Amino acid sequence: MRRRKFLAGTAALGAVPALAQANQSPAARERSPDLPARFTPSAWATRKTGYTPFAVPDYFTFASDLAVERNVTGKPHTGKVLAAVQAHSDDIPLFCGGTVAKLIDEGYAGYLIRVSNDEASGTTLGHGVAQNESDAQNVGKQLGCRKTISFYYRNHRMDDGAIIELRARLIFLFRVLRVNTIFTMDPYNHYDENPDHIVVGKAVEGACWMSGNRDYPEHYKAGLQPTHIQEKFYYARSPQGHNLVNRIVDVSSYIDVKTRANMANLIKGPAGNGGVRLREYLRAQGKRLPLLGNDDDTANFQYVKHFLMEDFRVLGQQFGIGYAEAFRYIGPDTPYLDRIRRAALEQSVAL
Amino acid sequence: MQTIQPHRGSVFVAVHAHVAEVPHFGGGLCARLVAEGYTGFLVRTTNDESSGGKTAAQNILANETEHAAMAKALGFKDVFELSYCSHRMNEISPLELRGRLVFIFRLVKADVVLSFRPSSEGEPDSDRWITGRAVEEACQTAGSTNDFHEHAEAGILPHAVRQRYWFHARPGQAFNRVVDITPYLDKKIDAIVECRSQNGDAGSLLRARLAKEGRRLEMLGDDDRTADRAYVRQFLLEEFRAYAQGHGFDYAERFDYIGPPEDQSAKVEDYIAKNAVRMVR
Repeated sequence: MRRRKFLAGTAALGAVPALAQANQSPAARERSPDLPARFTPSAWATRKTGYTPFAVPDYFTFASDLAVERNVTGKPHTGKVLAAVQAHSDDIPLFCGGTVAKLIDEGYAGYLIRVSNDEASGTTLGHGVAQNESDAQNVGKQLGCRKTISFYYRNHRMDDGAIIELRARLIFLFRVLRVNTIFTMDPYNHYDENPDHIVVGKAVEGACWMSGNRDYPEHYKAGLQPTHIQEKFYYARSPQGHNLVNRIVDVSSYIDVKTRANMANLIKGPAGNGGVRLREYLRAQGKRLPLLGNDDDTANFQYVKHFLMEDFRVLGQQFGIGYAEAFRYIGPDTPYLDRIRRAALEQSVAL
Repeated sequence: MQTIQPHRGSVFVAVHAHVAEVPHFGGGLCARLVAEGYTGFLVRTTNDESSGGKTAAQNILANETEHAAMAKALGFKDVFELSYCSHRMNEISPLELRGRLVFIFRLVKADVVLSFRPSSEGEPDSDRWITGRAVEEACQTAGSTNDFHEHAEAGILPHAVRQRYWFHARPGQAFNRVVDITPYLDKKIDAIVECRSQNGDAGSLLRARLAKEGRRLEMLGDDDRTADRAYVRQFLLEEFRAYAQGHGFDYAERFDYIGPPEDQSAKVEDYIAKNAVRMVR
């Protein structure tokens, strides 16, 4: 907690300024005076409100060719398929729900794949598994996904299994669903405490590459075709995550969808009935916050949007946009052979 | 030779680790099942890189080619190659192997499997018992709706394997079924000789050796094909011949057979029929 307070930035906070500014440390600034001038910082300490640990990570490293992806008109992605692969029911909605919703709105067919059974959250193990199964389905619906698929590996124990087996199942699904684009936890996310995230990220990374080649030839006997994953969006876990960021996505138009997706997680993640609980807390103090409205749905919605999503707005401010999500984006392969042929043709002489 | 096909529409899958195993331990039964109407599929779990006396790469290629030829000789419809490194299957994930077998059993809708006994007493080749173990597990898992449920996305649905034939591959291994393969002996020999990298060419090699020594064996004939077949018949099938004698036929293969599970629901219905009384309202 002290660490987060120290790193809290000097962002101008809009929606709930009084509360946000109370969390700012006077010592927080762009550059620590303790860092000698001869050193160039290699990571950027993010500005955060301190309302939730599960928004943007403590640090980002930005690439020099970073691009901001903005809204596009029409449905340019019609015919394409994305798979959002998460270890737990709250990963995708928290860290990239806005971008997933955006791409689906722009024409993608979306599939949400949950790898664990989320047993670790719930009043009992069975309750956790059952409620999260239901919640994951609702998250998928809120994001506009066609289907949510769960693999049910044990929560927080995924480093116990064979990653090759998980990778094989993902290869199968990527081929069946004809996936073009994936979202997952950055497999090189530093300092992530959760072993499930790293296992899933690594399995997805391998599956993306292998689903396009000749591995698992028995799939082809079933009529499946190799599928080439053209685009990868890797997100970092917060607060400890730290990854290389080369793509900022403006999700301002989709922040309400993202908010609803997070609300769908009733027992996992920071959303759930947080708004209702805050309203009850204030009532016990003899107070009310007009933002929270007069009904449970409004209270929960406003709580998620104006507290839990606030760090994404602060991040967006740094890039001159509203709400933002950050990714290590890996685009389509360079057409090397085409380039060689083009270069060769340009330099060729007549026979 | 069977002329009627009582099993038309049924499917069997023979799963072995190395090219020559199905023809040697169950080639006669496979040929018989095909003749009786079964559609057969063959699965090889290793790449046989250790067999053939050449480089690992050359062994892999030769065994792959011979595997296809052997499958054709026995009448298999198709071959699946899983290609794990030969004699190194201890290092692979049992779950991944099982998952692949579940996929194949569901895809072809396997009713019957042939493979190694999962316990494989006295078996020094770990590839064999690892394969058998995975097959046994996959037979059950293939019928489970919740296991590998993503297969349904491709329309590949749960399908339980109901009968298993485990090879009698080593002395001391249990068996409870003896199959008369006499009418299918030629098919079995045809299949074994196709496995040239795994002793299928022993006859022609022997004939060449003897020729160098200025000698010949009448039974090896005048060409390699005849020599290979004669060698297999004379030297490699002795145990199949010897065991059959006690049963009154010429050649037999032995298996530990596990049949379809008992239908519990039929028992319940039978009990209801015998004991239920009409309710008084």
